[in-house]
Amino acid sequence: VPLTREELDGRVLAMIASGAQAPPDDARFEALALELFRFQHAANAPYRRICAVLGVEPEAVRRWRDIPAVPTGAFKEARLACFPPERTIRVFRSSGSTTERRSELHLDTLALYEASVRATFGAWLVPEGRRLRFLVLAPSEDDAPDSSLSSMFAIAMRAFGTAESRFLVRGDGWDPGAAIDALRGAGAPALVAGTAFAFVHLLDAMDERRARIVLPAGTRVMETGGFKGRSRELSRDELHAALARAFGIPRTSVVNQYGMSELGSQFYEATLVEGGGSATKRVPPWVRTRAVDPETLDDVAPGQVGALVHYDLANTGSVLAVMTSDAGRLVAGGFEVLGRLTGAEARGCSIAADALLETP
Amino acid sequence: VSAFAELARTAAALEPERVLGALDATLAAWRAPGSPWRARLAKEHGVYSPEGIERGVALGLAGWTRPALAALRAREIGPGAVAPRVTAVWLAGSVPTAAFGALLLPLVAGSAVYAKPASADPLSPRLFAESLDAVDPLVASALALGDDLRSLARADAVVAHGSDETVAAIRARVPVHARFVAHGHKLSAAVVGRDADPAPAADALALDAALYDGRGCLSPAYAFVEDVPAGRAGAFARELARALERIAGELPRGPLAPAEQVALQSLRAASAARGDDVLASKGSLAWTVIACAAGGPLPAPGALRALPVVPFADAAELAARLGALQPHLSTLGGAGFSGRGDLLEHLARDAGASRVCALGHMQLPPIDWHHDGYAPLGSLLRWIDAGA
Repeated sequence: VPLTREELDGRVLAMIASGAQAPPDDARFEALALELFRFQHAANAPYRRICAVLGVEPEAVRRWRDIPAVPTGAFKEARLACFPPERTIRVFRSSGSTTERRSELHLDTLALYEASVRATFGAWLVPEGRRLRFLVLAPSEDDAPDSSLSSMFAIAMRAFGTAESRFLVRGDGWDPGAAIDALRGAGAPALVAGTAFAFVHLLDAMDERRARIVLPAGTRVMETGGFKGRSRELSRDELHAALARAFGIPRTSVVNQYGMSELGSQFYEATLVEGGGSATKRVPPWVRTRAVDPETLDDVAPGQVGALVHYDLANTGSVLAVMTSDAGRLVAGGFEVLGRLTGAEARGCSIAADALLETP
Repeated sequence: VSAFAELARTAAALEPERVLGALDATLAAWRAPGSPWRARLAKEHGVYSPEGIERGVALGLAGWTRPALAALRAREIGPGAVAPRVTAVWLAGSVPTAAFGALLLPLVAGSAVYAKPASADPLSPRLFAESLDAVDPLVASALALGDDLRSLARADAVVAHGSDETVAAIRARVPVHARFVAHGHKLSAAVVGRDADPAPAADALALDAALYDGRGCLSPAYAFVEDVPAGRAGAFARELARALERIAGELPRGPLAPAEQVALQSLRAASAARGDDVLASKGSLAWTVIACAAGGPLPAPGALRALPVVPFADAAELAARLGALQPHLSTLGGAGFSGRGDLLEHLARDAGASRVCALGHMQLPPIDWHHDGYAPLGSLLRWIDAGA
């Protein structure tokens, strides 16, 4: 008997409750992934059509790896949801201008998203479990209700933040001077979180003002996202080194997070917990990640670079399998992200080819 | 500076007949069965399959002969015409015959050429220059390849290919009084009328889409199909799928970059999710046909052998569809409009296109056809009038 959505949600929540560092249970994951796929194939008409184009019938899918993945670009074109529009309580949209098409993830519950955020954020950024003062270089949920990042920060702040925690970016922009003052006044170990480009702007503002900030011991930084042309670009290593230097904290206290609006779960480096400088993104037990050949969709050879595909059980209301445009490779304990897949530069003279490359 | 002046002196000293003869022999060497030049380009080009290069160059250069070049000179050059001393040609894209045409036309006009090869295809200009040198080193010495931006300020004429942004950036470096010929971003479209025989029309369109893998500005980015009676466009989409599958065997697609592969996967998924009927090669990204619903929004243009088939009910709807492509529309390839006079020419004029041809010929413009509406030689010339 197929599981209902409520039953699926319950089983995924139970899996998340085991914790982000619980040993992976492949049999449990596979069984639940296949149940969820069959539910989503039946309940999500756009996904069903995508499966048909790929020539995949649900009864032929016997392993989680065989579940058809949806490229993130499809989230820009269709409402990939397993419930009617009137049940939507929140829509997360990818970043971008108001004129360009943005990916949309429709949600009828935030329970799984919240559980996933609490489990992973807590495991890799607040392992001691004590509350920290959050200083967030991003707008609040009220200012950016369609930003999954703002929601994630809000959830983490409620779970792990002190009453003095605050968002330092308003809907109409931010004042770097005020942010610097807020950081200086942290007083106790803080968690400073934000986008990579926001941190670059902060570093530049600190340079301009010759500002020095020494944050209390135990402070940690979480940065996420790319630069998207919104600041000068630094390599991840350069950014982390600059942040560690600027805030007077160890390099291992700067943690990168990798996520996207189409996914209910995120991935973190384990540097704060385990030390070392590994760029490996840790995959929680309710997620699996593949690196695939983007033409055949087959797994690339172990250690080789491919397009990253994530199978996230927290995506019960949409599609669990999402194909990204990010290049990466699987490594022990998780995966590494090597940037966007290459070849986006024009190799022809047609505007059509350029337009196509803007799709994903 | 001295090299630039030497380039100009070389061209000025060349007799037009000698230039025509050298170009004719060079082009003949490229067209010849078993041409080693073509074979070398096919082997080393990298963007397209060897079969695609062999076929594209052989077909593309078919009419590029001395009589055609001489007729072009006679048509556009007369007493009082002054050719640029040096024409700077900034190339873009990766279509070899487009590069050949851009290099040889200023030579036909009597100008020297300083050309910057496209980053995606440095080989085609180099091999063309080598082949010209093998025929007539003196004529070949009027053609130089390089990437010196100062040439844009020194040339009497500049021909710029590239995205609109690139062309604008080049234009900003060109003195006000120099001739400037802009070939910005373009795309082309196929239009299939109700009188078209679906199978041969689909085969012809498949050739247009397969040559240069939909990367060129002459590649069809849409197939607008007259849906009369209703369902005909869908049937044509299936014919096109059959034709693309067949031609994929003859003319395999060149390698795709990973980002292009994901873009095609995304296009297929997004189109299916939207409700379009997606016909696609199995287990590969060799080809994709997207049969769109009648009356829906215009989808994104196709490329890389992915082609949306967009139904239209009548000429007014087709005109509106084509009008939406302004100012980027280059070529209309048509079939099945018999008995409707010069409808396609009217549509092209209204939509800002500059070429109309039969399906199967979209990638093969004659050398004397205007390019983006510019006279091939006349656009480079300065004229002197003398009288009482």
